[in-house]
Formats: sequence, structure tokens, C-alpha cells
Amino acid sequence: MIKCTCCSCAILLSLLSINHAEAHPHVWVTFHSEVLYAADGTMTGVRHAWTFDEMFSAYALQGISHAKKGQYTRQELASLAQTNVDSLKEYDYFTYARADDGKKLKFADAVDYWLDYKKAALTLHFTLPLKAPASAKAIKIEVYDPSIFVDFEFAKDGPVSLSGAPQCVVSYDLPHQPTPAEQARLSQLDAVPLDSSSTYGEIFANKILVKCP
Amino acid sequence: MTRSHAVALTALAAILIVGTTGIVSAWSAPFGAPHPVAAMPTSSLMGWIFAEQAAFYRSLSRFILAAKEDGTAMWELFGISFVYGVFHAVGPGHGKAVISSYLVANEETWRRGVVLSFVSAAIQSIVAIIVVAIAAVLLGATAKAIGLTVHLVEITSYALVILIGLRLLYVKGRGFLIACRELSWQQAPDLAFAAAPTVKSPSAATFRLSEGRPGAMAMRGAQCQIDGCTAHAHGFQCHHDHEHHESAWGHAHAPEPAMLAGTGGWRRGLAAVVAVGLRPCSGAIIVLIFALAQDLFWTGVGATLIMGLGTAVTVAGIATVAVGARGLASRVAQTQAGLGMFVMRAIEVGAAALIVAFGILLLAGYMASERLWVFTG
Repeated sequence: MIKCTCCSCAILLSLLSINHAEAHPHVWVTFHSEVLYAADGTMTGVRHAWTFDEMFSAYALQGISHAKKGQYTRQELASLAQTNVDSLKEYDYFTYARADDGKKLKFADAVDYWLDYKKAALTLHFTLPLKAPASAKAIKIEVYDPSIFVDFEFAKDGPVSLSGAPQCVVSYDLPHQPTPAEQARLSQLDAVPLDSSSTYGEIFANKILVKCP
Repeated sequence: MTRSHAVALTALAAILIVGTTGIVSAWSAPFGAPHPVAAMPTSSLMGWIFAEQAAFYRSLSRFILAAKEDGTAMWELFGISFVYGVFHAVGPGHGKAVISSYLVANEETWRRGVVLSFVSAAIQSIVAIIVVAIAAVLLGATAKAIGLTVHLVEITSYALVILIGLRLLYVKGRGFLIACRELSWQQAPDLAFAAAPTVKSPSAATFRLSEGRPGAMAMRGAQCQIDGCTAHAHGFQCHHDHEHHESAWGHAHAPEPAMLAGTGGWRRGLAAVVAVGLRPCSGAIIVLIFALAQDLFWTGVGATLIMGLGTAVTVAGIATVAVGARGLASRVAQTQAGLGMFVMRAIEVGAAALIVAFGILLLAGYMASERLWVFTG
């Protein structure tokens, strides 16, 4: 009986501890990003195009009036695009940029935003201008939802590009499965929290890297 | 108490501690800022469940589209919905922690645990269906309005969980204090009586001798509880006192076996599962609206109900384990009336406190991450 108690306790313990893990993604976004540079060689912002999965697209389109069944014009989607960027502000547009000196680059509110609807999927286009142009030689931009309600994935066809900086090179890096060492660190997080300068969370991010001479 | 018995009780207490550390770690996340790494599954089993449920969820859209072309694909859709429900309930937000804690705190039977799990899952599915039916089908509301509705229902659900937890904590806290007094009375009877001369200690000896009724109503309820838990059952005493604390909210004591079928007990249990079940699952809402967009609303309704059935299976399994653990611990505790009883009361108080903590964390948004309104306000 004692064994039984211990056994059931162990099962219960592991099942209840699952509360640590969060829910799985409910929204999938495949994205293209263009890093914008000014003529003077400073980075000025990022232009995103995020395509939602068809289930979430259908959800977002619920109740949006449109003239033709199965078709939505940019005008018909204007109010939804406005709602999207307004909501995203609270989540920092899921876009985090850093210069090579480790300094965070801050984005201003989104501009030039619109939605289009093709092949049963909505695509949100928007531009995030930097609050102050950045002149760093290397810049890293990450796109991810820390709570993984939204799953971000680079599009298959040329997901990243540069605008106005022919001298620079852009590359991208996929999030990877945690290595055994990272996994071990993960299990200790409750006891040994990360300090504020830690970059541990980035292993789960989609990274865009720009290097300039 | 033998050493092995102590080990068993310690193990059960460990459950509460782990539950609490979960809460503490959720709290330690910086205010507002999500905990990036908490998002990742912490074990390979969890990683597997995590990957499976995401894959099942994504495949739902494919099966709904297939069902549009070919009616028989609907059965595949229902099958996938069931499996998705089973996996999905392992994640947070399906009330398994609250329901399990409630069952442990309230000394419920496993049978009732299973029934309550199924009722809670059914309510969850039905709420999702009602929200979509009224908001989307009848009113043609936008995703923004639906998201807001879901948010409001969710807040109500969490507030009710806190209320139910607080009530349990109050009732169980009294039982715990009495067990404390009794423990000290057993160890040093003269001292305890000197310290609290008005309290009639509910030990077996006192019960046998005592003819007079204790003063406070709730106090009496707690006495019954202690009594029911010890080997020397004085069921008649509890029933005797019954008429004095009949109201659903003041119903202080854990149900006697004969009472379990009573309406009062079910009412209390239902209040708990309604509170938990109110919160609709974001996934179900999205699936329903996707189905609606394909003119397959009723197929979506079927899939949602079957998803709920899968969820219920998992929650009921976890609830059964919780009730079993409590039952075993209680049998161990019976071998040692004083300390054993004290530990059982402590476990109940801990479980009640966990419900309150879960409710507060959910309300504050530290544990829930299904932000349906992330893009749509």
C-alpha cells in the first residue's frame, strides 16, 4: 500500500507539474522580412509580411463584410489591419532588435500596414521604423512569441532581404532544438533564474543577421 | 506512526509543494513580461506531447476541408478531434489542477471525480459552441468581439475559481486549526485545556463522553470532518448535527459515504466544475469558426464535443490518481489518529490554498497563455 501511495504520488506529481509548460501554438505565421537601410548606411526599420495559417485566417475574417464570397479587398480588410497592428503593439510586434554592442534597438509604432487575402490565407504587411536610425556594423533581429501562442516560421522562398544597403549581407538562423546542456539549464530555471543580461531565450527565436563592412 | 507511513504521507505532501513551486515560479516571472523559456517543454515526454498536440491541431483544418469534399472524412475528423482532446488536456487550462485539488481538499470519491471531470469538459465544449453560435452565426460578430467575449467569460471563470477556493480554504482552515488543537491536546492535555478551555476537543474520548453540543456551527462541521477521517467513525454524530449546517456554502464537512449521492454534495461539486468549465478553449473557438467559414458548422460542433470527450478522459484520469493518492494517504493516516489526522487536514488546507493560488495566477494572466485576442484586439 505504501508503494502504491508513493507510486500514485509520483504520477500525480509529474502530471501536475506540467502546468509549467504552456499551451501549444494556436496561430502559425510564415513570414518574410526586409531590413531597411537609408542612403547614409544606417538601418531605419524592418518591413514584415506575415502570412497566417488558414484556420486562424478564417477566424480573423469572421464577421468582416465583403462584397464577393471568398474575396476580400484591401479596403474591406483595412479595419482588421488596424486592429492587428494596434493589438501587436502590446507584444512589441514580436520583433526584437539588437546592435552588435548588445544595445537594444527600439521600434516605433507600425506604419504602412495592410492586409491581403490569397489562397485562403491572410497576409499582414507592416513596417516597423526604428525610433533612432542605427549605424552598428552587425545587427540581429529576432522574431518570436515568447509564450509560443503564435508560432513564427521563415517562409520557404527568400524569407529575408535587404533594402538600400548593397554593401551589407543578410542571413538567417532557424531556432534549434535545445542541446543537452541547454536542456539541463532549462530544468534549473525555477531554482536558478536567468539574470537580466542573459540571452538564453534567443535559442527559441528566428534570427535575422545583418553584417556590414 | 511507522516510518513507511511517514514516507507515504511525506510523498503526498510533496505533491502540494510541487504544485506550489509551479505557482511561485510563475510568479517570479517579471511583471507583464512573459517567461521565454518557461514556454518550452521541460521533459522529453512533455516535448513529445507538445509536438503531438500541435500536429493534431494543425491537421484539424485539413480534415475539415476533406469533410467538405467527402462526408466520410468526417469520421476521421472526429477521431483526430478525440486524440487531440486527450493530448491537449495535459496542457494547462483544462482545469485538471483545480479539479484535482478540489477533489483532494473535499475528500471526494473517484467516481465523483470522473463524473465531475466529464461535466467540466462538456461545459467547456458547450460554452465554446454557444459563444460561436450566438456571436458568429446569429450576430455575425467579428473576431474582435468574440475574443472579448471569451476574455470576459475567462475572467468570470477565474474569479469563481478563487471564490470556491477561498470558501474551501475557510472551511478547511477551521478543520486544520481544530486538528492542531487536538494534536496539542493529545500531547499535553492539561496545557491545551488551559489554553482553550471553551473548545471541546473532538477526540474519540471527548466524543464518547461529551453530551453537550459545541457552540459554533462551522466548528461542529469541522469536528465531523475530523471524526469521519479517523478510524473511530462517529457518523451518527455528524448526521445528528446535520440539520444545523445545511446551506450549500456553509456546508463544512466532507461527505459521508451515505451522503455522496445527496443533492447538496453534487451542488457543491457542480459549482466547482462550472467555474472551471466556463472558460472555453481557444482551439475549439478557432476550429468552430473555421468550420463555419466552410459552411460546416455542425461538423465543427461534432468535432468540438468529441474534443471535449478526449479532454475529459485525460482530466478524469488525473483526477482518479489524485483521489487515489488521497484515499491511500487517508488510510495510512488512520493508523495514527492524532498526527495522521493533522497531516490529512494540512493536505486539505494546502489543496484549498492551491485552488486560490491557481485562480489568482490565472486571473493575473501568469499561467494562461491562450491569448485569442493577440492579433484581433
